[in-house]
Amino acid sequence: MDNSLDKPKTDKRVYATGAVIGIGITLLLIGLWYVQVATALVYINDQEIQSMRTVRVPAVRGSILDKHGRPIAQDTPTFVVNAYLEELRPHFREEWKRSRPAKSLSAAESRQLEIQVRYRVVKRFLEMLQLDQQIAISRKKMESHFTNQRALPLPVITGLSITNVARFAENSWKVPGLELEATPKRMYPSLSTAHLTGHLKRYNYRAKEELPYNYRLPDYSGKVGLEKMFNQYLCGQPGTRAVQVNNLGYRQGESTPVASQPGSNVVLTLDMTIQNATMNALEKGLKKCGAKAGSAIVMDVNSGDITAMVSAPVFDPNKFTPGISHALWNQYLTNRPSPLLFRATQERYPPGSIFKIISGLAALENGLNPEERIESTGSFRIGKRSIKDTASPGLYDFKRAFKKSSNYYFIHQAVVEGHGKEHLVQMGKQFHLGEKTGLLPQQETSGQFPSIKRVRDGWSEGDTANLCIGQGEITVTPLQMTLMTSAIANGGTIYHPRLVDRIQSPNPNFKENTIRFPRAQKRSQLLIKRPDSLKIIREAMFADVAEEEGTGQPAMIPDYNICGKTGTAEVKKPGDFHKITWFVSFAPFEKPKYAVVVMVERGVSGGKTCAPIAKEIYEALISQKRNGSIAGK
Amino acid sequence: MNFLIQILSWNRFDKVLLIALFGLMTFGLLFVYSATYNNELFSSSSLIKQPYFKQGIFYLMGLIIAFALCLKDYNQIARWAYVFYWLNITMLTLVLIPGIGSIRYGARRWFDLGFTQFQPSEMAKVAFVLALAQFLSRPRRELSDSKVLLKGIGLAMLPFALILMEPDLGTSLMILPTGLVMMYVAGAPWGFMKKLLGGATILTGLALAYVFFVPNEWKPIRLPDHQKRRLMVYFGVDYAKHYAGPNATNTEISRARALQKQDSYNVVQAMISVGSGGLTGKGWKNGIQNTYGYLPRGVAHNDFIFSVIAEESGFIGSTVVVLLYGTIIAVGIRTAIRSRDRLGRILAMGVVTMMFLHVFVNIGMNIRMVPVTGLPLPLLSSGGSSVICSLAALGLLQNIKLYQKTI
Repeated sequence: MDNSLDKPKTDKRVYATGAVIGIGITLLLIGLWYVQVATALVYINDQEIQSMRTVRVPAVRGSILDKHGRPIAQDTPTFVVNAYLEELRPHFREEWKRSRPAKSLSAAESRQLEIQVRYRVVKRFLEMLQLDQQIAISRKKMESHFTNQRALPLPVITGLSITNVARFAENSWKVPGLELEATPKRMYPSLSTAHLTGHLKRYNYRAKEELPYNYRLPDYSGKVGLEKMFNQYLCGQPGTRAVQVNNLGYRQGESTPVASQPGSNVVLTLDMTIQNATMNALEKGLKKCGAKAGSAIVMDVNSGDITAMVSAPVFDPNKFTPGISHALWNQYLTNRPSPLLFRATQERYPPGSIFKIISGLAALENGLNPEERIESTGSFRIGKRSIKDTASPGLYDFKRAFKKSSNYYFIHQAVVEGHGKEHLVQMGKQFHLGEKTGLLPQQETSGQFPSIKRVRDGWSEGDTANLCIGQGEITVTPLQMTLMTSAIANGGTIYHPRLVDRIQSPNPNFKENTIRFPRAQKRSQLLIKRPDSLKIIREAMFADVAEEEGTGQPAMIPDYNICGKTGTAEVKKPGDFHKITWFVSFAPFEKPKYAVVVMVERGVSGGKTCAPIAKEIYEALISQKRNGSIAGK
Repeated sequence: MNFLIQILSWNRFDKVLLIALFGLMTFGLLFVYSATYNNELFSSSSLIKQPYFKQGIFYLMGLIIAFALCLKDYNQIARWAYVFYWLNITMLTLVLIPGIGSIRYGARRWFDLGFTQFQPSEMAKVAFVLALAQFLSRPRRELSDSKVLLKGIGLAMLPFALILMEPDLGTSLMILPTGLVMMYVAGAPWGFMKKLLGGATILTGLALAYVFFVPNEWKPIRLPDHQKRRLMVYFGVDYAKHYAGPNATNTEISRARALQKQDSYNVVQAMISVGSGGLTGKGWKNGIQNTYGYLPRGVAHNDFIFSVIAEESGFIGSTVVVLLYGTIIAVGIRTAIRSRDRLGRILAMGVVTMMFLHVFVNIGMNIRMVPVTGLPLPLLSSGGSSVICSLAALGLLQNIKLYQKTI
């Protein structure tokens, strides 16, 4: 009875309690809704920040190819042994347990031991692979990898040799956590193109970065040459890899939200067979006369397409990735003659007698009768100075004077007959002397050439005499001389020189994305008043190689009519006297196709030093044509 | 035997309660597994030591005990309430003695039984509810006597103080409000209740003010530092200001900040778990917070099991869990209302309140509604004492329904 209920009052209190509990449960639900639905994005984002690491993955760089698709610069795989730290972790721990001393360690000591343990484990596993390459990472580097980018695999051996790749494949089942992976490395199979391609440099992302990546894998960009000019096409689009990490920063999984897009290929007009032959010929020629520097260019006279373009000495662009050593870089900087200079376009040289092509043309245009003979005394007197002539005294008409390279004759025409000065300068201007060609903007010099204004004021006859034989106030680049020779050969058209044919997608199915650079772009046309002038020059050039007394005879090839002009310019500097030797040429005489220009610093003479080099280049061109026709091309 | 069949016949059990119970136990097994399957501590141990397997065993044991508690009328069981109560008080005292109680996480809360550990405070909660219900079931008019009421308060204060000394603030704090609600339901005079509530509120306010605003060196009694820091984390107090003072050096400030980060780590990670679960969750065993170790491995399967559930099953899953508890609580309240005697009603409300408080505090701390305290989520958190005692308490609830006087 006592236990019975006085119903109304207590019921109310139970209901009230129930109501409070109900409110409590509702509050919980509202709270959960707020956290899990209303503001869920905040937490999803927080979680991503703490458990995701984004990695910038560079794209495979596009190749630079020759006109037949042969590689000039190419990303090729090199093999790397990567240590996957999350897989090695249990082994680190085991080793740690084994090597932990009985006494307790201070935080610093424990950290020290931890590093030692990790290093030891990785080293021991590597030894189990029986490679003959050692661990290539310092303890310190390993430690910093652990602190800064634990989520990424640690490269412990780079540049694995083929034998070691095989050994790895054989032994890898024995060890956990080590993987063989391929990473691209920029390779330049031929050093002859070093100056053209230029080289790469580690990409400095800090200055200009698009996305806030956690990590960035090493990437490179072009520093000079075509690698730099076409960097934006070659480099492709970097991709993003998302690595999921645990609370200790070890990798747990990964995905690729953005795949990298490989760079486009740059296809050149170069023909690597000829390019290599040209380089060989130049180096052989240099060796023969004890010279060290020079340049040679082969160009299609009917389009301005460059078939070969070399400069010596060269540097090795392969050494710039992953990074050039200080010692080697200093060597490149201080060596003389400098291997970094691209002598085909980047250095100015006095043309010497090859300029007689222009002074001859100027005189012919100004009414010179090529048949008229002039008596040469062997040296020409202007004022107090007398200019010596290497050609013997005697009677000279235009052709004989040209092929024997008579200074007397040409100075006489320029100074006495009045074909020099403004006529000469105007003719030189027509060949764009003193102007850049625009082929390699960062590696080009314009050379010097006097202006009309200059010759009208304070210009002496001695200056005219110097200029008309390619000395004095005139300097040119081998490329400018090649363009000049081509214009003579093709009947007066000056083309824009062309090195790049097209930029195309690495995927052969994407033909529509190809960017083409049209061939045979005319820069200008020579204004010729007398239709025979060019023909006379061409015949004189032919005679220089083919006829007796010709200075260019060493270039002669039976059954192949080469037309040329030699040049030997003297450079007098205090304590240094040397010669810049030249041979400019085109062939065949009947239907010109190629211009070949050779320049050697400190050569003996144009005929002795450069003409044989040109001959070898022509032989390569001929043999390639023969092989090509056999192959049905 | 016939007698057994009669009282335990299927029809007499509350099916809604059973469904909710089995629903929660299913969640428990699934997510204790999910929280521990890739924990290195357990991955190499045998099946018997796997937390989910142990959880299953505990469910079974708990259910057996719950059934056993249904064999006798609760009025008969309640006669043993004081014996049971004092037995528990003895255990709570014993556990404090070094050498008998074993220490984990810096508190002396467990008896080490070799194969498992037993936490007497879990059982003490049930014993307290049973004893207080028995005490308050006396005729209502006797409750006007303040001596009786003070005795009731004493019944609550004894286990409260002993558990607090372990120390286990979370568990001890469950005792007082439960006692309060039971007195209220039992029909203690309104004036007395008001005084009690007012006193509690003022005391709490004073305690908080003492913790935060009285300089440390003036304090005769200090709250254990970790408890204080938990409160500071909850109230978002800047450690740098509180610990380092206005003219602190940079190293002091950064040390204080580092400590703050460390202290708030669990709750921050729990929030990220729950929040990143979103509406639908990441799927069973796919919770990143737990798998990748951001949610500390030591607590993921017990005190923070709800984080794992919420991350993997989303708002939908956590709502289901809350509603399952709601169902059990609703069944309990209905039992209390339908109960024809005072003992049944007070006991039912005691069990219900205890259950609700655990659920509210545990889930609430995952979403920062309440400060972090080490408190299990009944039936879901991995741990034998909690699971078995929760099931025993629910057994009592079922008992009240089975033996209700039908007039």
